[in-house]
Amino acid sequence: MTGITRRLFNTALGTTLAAGGLSSGILGTWTTPAQAQQGGASVVTVATIGEPPTLDPVGTTSDLVSIITQHMFETLFTFDGEWKLAPLVASALPQVSADGKTYTIPLRSGVTFHDGSTVTADDVVASLDHWTKASPRGKTVAPLVESIAAKGSDAVVIALKEPFAPLTALLAMNNGAAAIVPKSVIDGPGALKSLIGTGPYKLLEHKPDQYIRLVRHDGYASPTGAPSGYAGSRKAVIGEVRFVPVPNATTRVSGVLAGQYQFADSLPAETLPRIKDAAGVKPVIVKPFGFPLMIMNTKTGVMANQKIRQAVLAALEPNDMLLAGFGDPAFVQAEGSIYAQGTPYYDAASAKPYSDHAAGKAADLLKAAGYKGEPIRIMTSVQYEFLYKMSMVAQAQLEMAGFKVDLQVLDWATLLQRRGDEKAWDAFFTYHTFVPEPSLITVLNPSYPGWWDSPAKREALAAFNREMDPAARKAKWVTLQTLFYSEVPSIKVGDFYNLAASSDKLTGYTPTPWPFFWNTDLKG
Amino acid sequence: MLVYIVRRFAGMMVVMLLVAMVVFVIARVVPGDPAAVMLGSAATPEDIAALRGRLGLDEPLLTQFLLYLGQIIRFDLGESIFLNRPVAQALAERSELTGLLTMMSVGIAMLIGVPVGILSAAKRGGLIDQTAVGLAMLAASIPSFWIGLTLIKYLAVDHAWFPVAGYGPPEADLLERMRHLVLPAIALGIPNSALILRFTRTSMLDVMSHDYVRTARAKGLPPLVVVLKHALRNAMIPILTVIGLTTAVMIAGAIVTETVFGLPGVGNLIVSAVLRRDYPVIQGALLVVSAIYVLINLTVDLLYAVVDPRVRY
Repeated sequence: MTGITRRLFNTALGTTLAAGGLSSGILGTWTTPAQAQQGGASVVTVATIGEPPTLDPVGTTSDLVSIITQHMFETLFTFDGEWKLAPLVASALPQVSADGKTYTIPLRSGVTFHDGSTVTADDVVASLDHWTKASPRGKTVAPLVESIAAKGSDAVVIALKEPFAPLTALLAMNNGAAAIVPKSVIDGPGALKSLIGTGPYKLLEHKPDQYIRLVRHDGYASPTGAPSGYAGSRKAVIGEVRFVPVPNATTRVSGVLAGQYQFADSLPAETLPRIKDAAGVKPVIVKPFGFPLMIMNTKTGVMANQKIRQAVLAALEPNDMLLAGFGDPAFVQAEGSIYAQGTPYYDAASAKPYSDHAAGKAADLLKAAGYKGEPIRIMTSVQYEFLYKMSMVAQAQLEMAGFKVDLQVLDWATLLQRRGDEKAWDAFFTYHTFVPEPSLITVLNPSYPGWWDSPAKREALAAFNREMDPAARKAKWVTLQTLFYSEVPSIKVGDFYNLAASSDKLTGYTPTPWPFFWNTDLKG
Repeated sequence: MLVYIVRRFAGMMVVMLLVAMVVFVIARVVPGDPAAVMLGSAATPEDIAALRGRLGLDEPLLTQFLLYLGQIIRFDLGESIFLNRPVAQALAERSELTGLLTMMSVGIAMLIGVPVGILSAAKRGGLIDQTAVGLAMLAASIPSFWIGLTLIKYLAVDHAWFPVAGYGPPEADLLERMRHLVLPAIALGIPNSALILRFTRTSMLDVMSHDYVRTARAKGLPPLVVVLKHALRNAMIPILTVIGLTTAVMIAGAIVTETVFGLPGVGNLIVSAVLRRDYPVIQGALLVVSAIYVLINLTVDLLYAVVDPRVRY
């Protein structure tokens, strides 16, 4: 700043406001946020995309909820830097019986809740029982569970009716989470009675649409080992992590550039140059992050015809859609494999139809399907701008291939409701955040709108879920992906990466799809 | 006057009842489901149906409406589905921000609009008048979000004179919170100052063409006394009306500005509630805002009698 210093300006402004009728006593306590922070424990302010719908991590699969609540609640397991399972509240990975039906999970001793009480096997049993009733993820496991019981005071045993390999990954997820909470805060299948967990931070204050204040849990018992991803030692160095909802993306960018926020999440790709050029701020690009999907209604209507869905796949040029959605090629990858290159489940060969766009193929498929020009009702929403832009390109490309398209632009709440009605739509746009376990991909769930549930898929998914050997699981996943590209329940548009920005003063930050702030520090 | 006030309050109750009915019906007719929003995009229809049952959203609409009516008769606005608190508390938490922002922006609009409008009328046809009218047209045409983003760029990011967004950290005192409102108040105040300016100018021009103003001038009174003492007082009724309307509109209408500046005000609360279909908040907030709107109108009507003794109720 030249000419007028900030202090001089603040003084002048303060005087002006004071002259307007405010008492000089108030003026005497004037502090800037930075000054306020210097006085007490360090505060990291994180600008998020909005207000979370709840702070109960069990009942929702919202990513925003998991970003915040993973600081407060912990699960038995978590994922390390290579997305491998690692213990968290558990002391080690589970011992699985030879038939794959019994999981014995040892617990770490000395783990305490935010209310000071110590975690017992009874708390864990009650938490897991609650999870099977209240969590969308837990409910998928519930029909397979024979029993959940304590084994002594420091272990629990989950007995299944049949082998189910994704169980540990489901137990490790931070949304729809199998959060370990005191038995006393669980009351029926609804939300938790109070938000008490075992995490390195605990809830201090929640002012909706203003801030969520998490402060260090001084009695936190950290797992041991070198930090890796979400696993290993967790040290709460920062005294307070403050999540501030800032729905306007431009404001999030401005706020982090001005130093008001130390971290801003989900920023528009086109702001990368501004962030790169700014002093004191660095961009954070998260890979892998997510993949947009065009989900098709396999149950009812015109898209129930598999050949028509294949025609859609042939008609769309994913690269055009990705560029329209994100603008910058640095943030997208036209990748057909559901899992990106470098991840354990990557497979290019079975995803070949993704890039197979021979001229006239879509028209031939449409003819063979007996398509009579019925309008394809595609739902999209401007609340996710990249989805809206992609749907516009999809509309043009489908019309060029001979489809008649009825693009319905809805608000997100309406889309979420309408997609539950199988007669109301033929396709809709959404996106999926990276999940380390394929079984967690929503499209595979036959209850998820789109209702992909052919006999071949059901059999392939069951075989994949039963298989405990990692190498054999990969082969069975390839079978599933092959089916995904022949039955085409959805179109994977490609991969996209997330842009965030961090203050240079924030050290120790590890880029992940769900940002966390333990093991980080604030310098200077 | 007392009879008039009592009559107006009775009318207000009828208006409130109609507002309650209309808002309830509109909120339920619009598609969208709070349960689906709350559970996230991976939720299945079975999960959503179960939550709807727990929230009482699967009851017949008439039952829900009668329950709602019973609540508001007891001055209970209900419980927010998402915010984990009563609607009245959620509104109270945001009233300080919205009240201050409204006062500051109306203050800015008045401080610019009224004097410039008077000056413009006094110098009718001259350079000052033409410039003022031209600038007013410009100010009325520029969207407040653009003004907001420009202010953020130059005064918050480039110079750090003001915060970019929010209503201050938890430890902020009143003055610090007001500092967070300076840029939004300017962004809101400037377009509204144009409206007040034009009303003031028109009203003053109308009054200044009357005989008594000509007489005052003929008596040799100084121009400042003629304009401020004789003309302005009689021109105040339309000016008060537009200031009252501007205030009422700003209470809930600052939605875009609140979004740009990330302000958790009443406008922001209503928009978030609509996006996530938080029915009790939509209903309660709109009811309260309507009540304030009606009260402001009543206050303006009563002020007419204060500034113009000829007006009697």
